[in-house]
Amino acid sequence: MVTLCPAPANLCSMSNRQSLIEMQQVMLRYATGKTALSGITLDIPQGQFVYLTGESGAGKSSLLRMFYGGVRPSSGLLKVKGTDMREAAETGIRELRRHTGIIFQDHRLLFSRTVFENVALPLRVQGWKTDRLIPRVRKVLEYVGLADRLWSYPEALSGGEQQRIAIARAMTANPAIILADEPTGNLDIETARRVLDYLMGLNQQGTTVIMATHDLHLLESHPGRVVQLHAGTLAGEN
Amino acid sequence: MADAVSRIEQDIPEQLHPRLPGGFHLPPFGIHQFLALIIVCVSLWALGVLWLGMQAAGQWVGSWQQDIHIHVYLPAGSGRGDELKMALQAVPNVTGVREISAEEAASWMRSWLNDVGLSNKDMVSRLPLTFELSLGEDESGFLFADIRDAAERFGARVNEEEVNLARVHHWLSQLGYLAWFASLVLALAMALIISNTLRMTLLARADEVHLMRLLGAREWFVRMPFILEGALIGAGAGFLGWLLLWPLVWGTYDWFSLLHVALNAWLLLFPLACGGALVGALGAVIATARIVSNDTPT
Repeated sequence: MVTLCPAPANLCSMSNRQSLIEMQQVMLRYATGKTALSGITLDIPQGQFVYLTGESGAGKSSLLRMFYGGVRPSSGLLKVKGTDMREAAETGIRELRRHTGIIFQDHRLLFSRTVFENVALPLRVQGWKTDRLIPRVRKVLEYVGLADRLWSYPEALSGGEQQRIAIARAMTANPAIILADEPTGNLDIETARRVLDYLMGLNQQGTTVIMATHDLHLLESHPGRVVQLHAGTLAGEN
Repeated sequence: MADAVSRIEQDIPEQLHPRLPGGFHLPPFGIHQFLALIIVCVSLWALGVLWLGMQAAGQWVGSWQQDIHIHVYLPAGSGRGDELKMALQAVPNVTGVREISAEEAASWMRSWLNDVGLSNKDMVSRLPLTFELSLGEDESGFLFADIRDAAERFGARVNEEEVNLARVHHWLSQLGYLAWFASLVLALAMALIISNTLRMTLLARADEVHLMRLLGAREWFVRMPFILEGALIGAGAGFLGWLLLWPLVWGTYDWFSLLHVALNAWLLLFPLACGGALVGALGAVIATARIVSNDTPT
């Protein structure tokens, strides 16, 4: 596999890095009979920043869902952190999700709960006690510049702030991989760049970030590996 | 450690109580839960009344059920006592026939009437020959008809009041099975009521459940708050239902005292509260059994 990488050096040294995600001839067919992905062969090493691009319906979201076990490949091989996603047991998928941060375009914050409760949720799932949660949540909120909104409710925040809360939630458990499904889709250019800054910062700390996006202009200011999908197939890489 | 805790408590603004979802944290209590509590409370109260009734009937019957005998009276001077005795002994499930002499019957009657001055000799000459029948455990449907037939063949008469009491005893033992059946039906109905309430809560919190699963929460972690909620509603309803039994116990105290019945409502506290909790937890299990998110690993 040939990869042209305009990104910083730490993102491009694939050859000497361990594969985080390994895909060989992966096909995904939904129960309805629609084939969402076919013949995908891809290798994502640890520590990369990967953009998944393509038109609507190209299969970006389906690919991300496969990475966290939301759907299973119909055929082919998909390994995420060494876990075979076709054969993995329920407990294996859960364990993987505990070490995966997920950011959605609609951020999926719980509006009846405070920012603290939202951001603490991944740690709560992992069994952290409340006395340990507050300092940790405060720290990640400081990273996204919203430490003063710890006890606010999400509806009191702007769209950009809500997306930053979603980033804080995704990073709070210190995951090895962050999957972002069009996190800048509903944001203006300036806010989108700030969101990208945070994700880039996490990537520079060693987290692998895989982000589905339409905003190709962001690639100029925030370069990374680009995986292009078209009609469910791999159309190219850059 | 104490310093750290107090520092953290200072971090949390007043009147704000973080409620983290999942695990052993109870969800907020709303109108649906309150309504379920009332409905289940009424059902458990009805069950409590039923079992209090069984308790009263058990005590009432218990006071005479050990001495159930049927008496057959043969008019004095008929001269067919021995034949009647043999005929009665031949009736299936009659375990014993004792002939009570007129003297013994007269003596018993005098003591029962507080020795009102009746002449013993006079009574003996007027009293019929009495046979006391002891009955076996397996009471057949034709037992009393057979006794009556045997008695009538010799011109004797059966004490019908005793026959009626023996029948009441039989019916009460059958009623016990009915009470258990009614309890089971009501328990199932209560479980479904709680299940329905929790399903509404689940729908309202579908996003939260879905998100917890996306974050890798275990199934017990996602379901435990609902199961706790169901158990709490059931236990609370059981306790309230038990409290509402007391006015009934106090209100009927005098009347039951006449029957030598003393109701004990304390005996029902544990069954009602624990039974309610069990039924509530069952309802929650039913409600959560079918909550499947799109991203549930399968």
